[in-house]
Amino acid sequence: MSCTHENKPDVIEVPITINRRWPEEGYTRIPAWVYTDPAIYKKEMDVFFAGDTWNYVGLECEVPEVGSYKRQWIGDRPVIMVRNEEGDINVIENRCAHKGAQICWQNTGKVKDFTCPYHQWNYDLDGNLQGIPFRRGALGKGGMPKDFDVKKFGINRLRTVNRGGSIWATFSDTAPDFETYCGEEVLAEIDHMLPGKKLRLLGYSRQLIPSNWKMYLENLKDPYHATLLHSFYITFGLWRADSKSECIPTGGGAHSVMVSHNEGKKKTEATAEMERFRDDLQILDAETVTPRAEFNRGRVGGAWVFPAAQFGIQANSLKTRHVIPRGPDSHELVFTYYGYEDDDEDMTRLRLKHANLLGPAGFVSMDDSEMLKQVQTGISGYPESVSVVEMGGRDTEPADYMVSEVLIRAFYQYYREAMEL
Amino acid sequence: MNAVLDQTHMPTLRTALRDFYDDYGTCLDDWNLEGWVDFFTDDCHYRVISHENKQANLPLGLIYCMNKNMLLDRVTAIRETTMYEPRMLRHFISGVHIKSVEGDVIKAQANFMVTEALSDQEPTVNLVGQYQDVIIRTQEGFKLQYRDCVYDNYRIRNSLIIPV
Amino acid sequence: MTDTLSWIAVGTPAEISPDTGTLRVVVEGEAVCLYKLEDGSIHATQDRCSHGNASLAEGYIEDGLIECPLHQGCFDIRTGEAVTAPCKAPIKVYPIKIENDTIYVSGEPA
Repeated sequence: MSCTHENKPDVIEVPITINRRWPEEGYTRIPAWVYTDPAIYKKEMDVFFAGDTWNYVGLECEVPEVGSYKRQWIGDRPVIMVRNEEGDINVIENRCAHKGAQICWQNTGKVKDFTCPYHQWNYDLDGNLQGIPFRRGALGKGGMPKDFDVKKFGINRLRTVNRGGSIWATFSDTAPDFETYCGEEVLAEIDHMLPGKKLRLLGYSRQLIPSNWKMYLENLKDPYHATLLHSFYITFGLWRADSKSECIPTGGGAHSVMVSHNEGKKKTEATAEMERFRDDLQILDAETVTPRAEFNRGRVGGAWVFPAAQFGIQANSLKTRHVIPRGPDSHELVFTYYGYEDDDEDMTRLRLKHANLLGPAGFVSMDDSEMLKQVQTGISGYPESVSVVEMGGRDTEPADYMVSEVLIRAFYQYYREAMEL
Repeated sequence: MNAVLDQTHMPTLRTALRDFYDDYGTCLDDWNLEGWVDFFTDDCHYRVISHENKQANLPLGLIYCMNKNMLLDRVTAIRETTMYEPRMLRHFISGVHIKSVEGDVIKAQANFMVTEALSDQEPTVNLVGQYQDVIIRTQEGFKLQYRDCVYDNYRIRNSLIIPV
Repeated sequence: MTDTLSWIAVGTPAEISPDTGTLRVVVEGEAVCLYKLEDGSIHATQDRCSHGNASLAEGYIEDGLIECPLHQGCFDIRTGEAVTAPCKAPIKVYPIKIENDTIYVSGEPA
């Protein structure tokens, strides 16, 4: 359902002009200014986060009771996810309709309704304006004009979708339905991880990475680096460059599905090539790298759901990843870990144990944040420089091997069109 | 070497614990990761967890070692497989407070602050929070059986390379 | 039958404001709002709105309902029931009696 209030102001849209030219080679090149130019950043926030896209907001289990809320951002726009009296989950702007103050000042909480502390304007859990102090004036003087219609000044409520317990929202009335937006392959990954079972929240991991948000997106569309940078993978037999895998760009290049099948630790030609592989290293707590069979055995990977969400499984760790841009040179990365209500104690323990692989202290992810900082620092000194992404070829077709940058090429093919670059 | 103390005299115990906390901080500041493992019992719990998670009873830790082997594995991973920019980390530990003493089992807490200086940047406050501990008095001195490093930060500054 | 309620004198009907139809009084430390409706009947409820920190005596009476000045939620003056959002919890209603042109409010709510 769509719900925006009648008071949506008539904004004179001033188009953002970007006087930039993409390198003539096309999507096999990425100009550094996409990571540094403030005008590009501003346009991205409008086109991608306030445009015809569905944005990840959270999981149902984060707002278990009526009035439970979570503070969140879609792009750089603050929003609130809240469970209303009917048990549905709303996503509303975190902004009083009066003067624009944030309504929610905490990460999570529980309220009966929303009251802005500034002038006590009061809203119900759907964002409707319920009451204004002194609406009839005080001591017979003042008050709001007689024709002031509270129905016109509620908090904007976004279109939302609940898919298996994951909550998505869009600012746009013209975005296609969620299934069409995701496409079959992405939807399958989401449904795989959220099969409709009741979820149990395990906790959050948050980090501030000093790089443009798209660098993280690219990192998760880059299986090429996985075994080269994260030598933990191959050292302890979690992933190999020659494993059976697939890279599938979808949604015109915006989304991607990346899958790899684990086949155990083996010294082969591929691993011998990698300088840092260490055959003599054994892990003492074998459970750390040994998942209990749950879904398809030994399948690692997931889906990037454009613009800013990733759904993926790492051993027994189930999590969503969400990127919140914080200016052109910084982004917040949030992991939300969950399990199922019917997990036994042993499974919960494993889920928590395998979380050691991810996040800012993660065995296969600490290197990423370190690396992204280096890339942002490197290109910032050379904003006219150009990156090259030709591993695997120069096309944007799905690949059945991992050593490829096809997903990045496909993304920039999509990006150029959407951004008119 | 930590001294085994007269268990009835609190000021002495507190002083000894302060030394224990400082020795722990110095060990990590020196990047003596192998020595860090020796501060723990075999059946230890070591977790770096946000205040956000702890307060909401959510068990997720960024680092979550459920036994001594996991501590050792983490040291191996850092030494052998992790790629990171060199940095100086420095612990400032204060406010050591004993919550209870029952025989050889001491519940205590202390504040920590870790500054980080990267090779091309000035030192910054990197992580701030509270150690929440169960410390066992053994023949070899104090050993951590349970340590939660509950950090106040809303977000980690990029990465968390070594334990806190 | 013996009257077991304790009655406290709070004022006269004439003291209830002809403009607002309300009068705020304090009974044994509790703020109470007195009402004079169009039919002349007198009623009493707790003065503090159950939704927020507001005095119902500063509110607006219409059709036997008191509208809270803070967020315009309404209560039925006779029963204390919350009738419109955002008010949900009822307010306490106090028994009253009038003797010799004096209003008495019972120390205990009905």
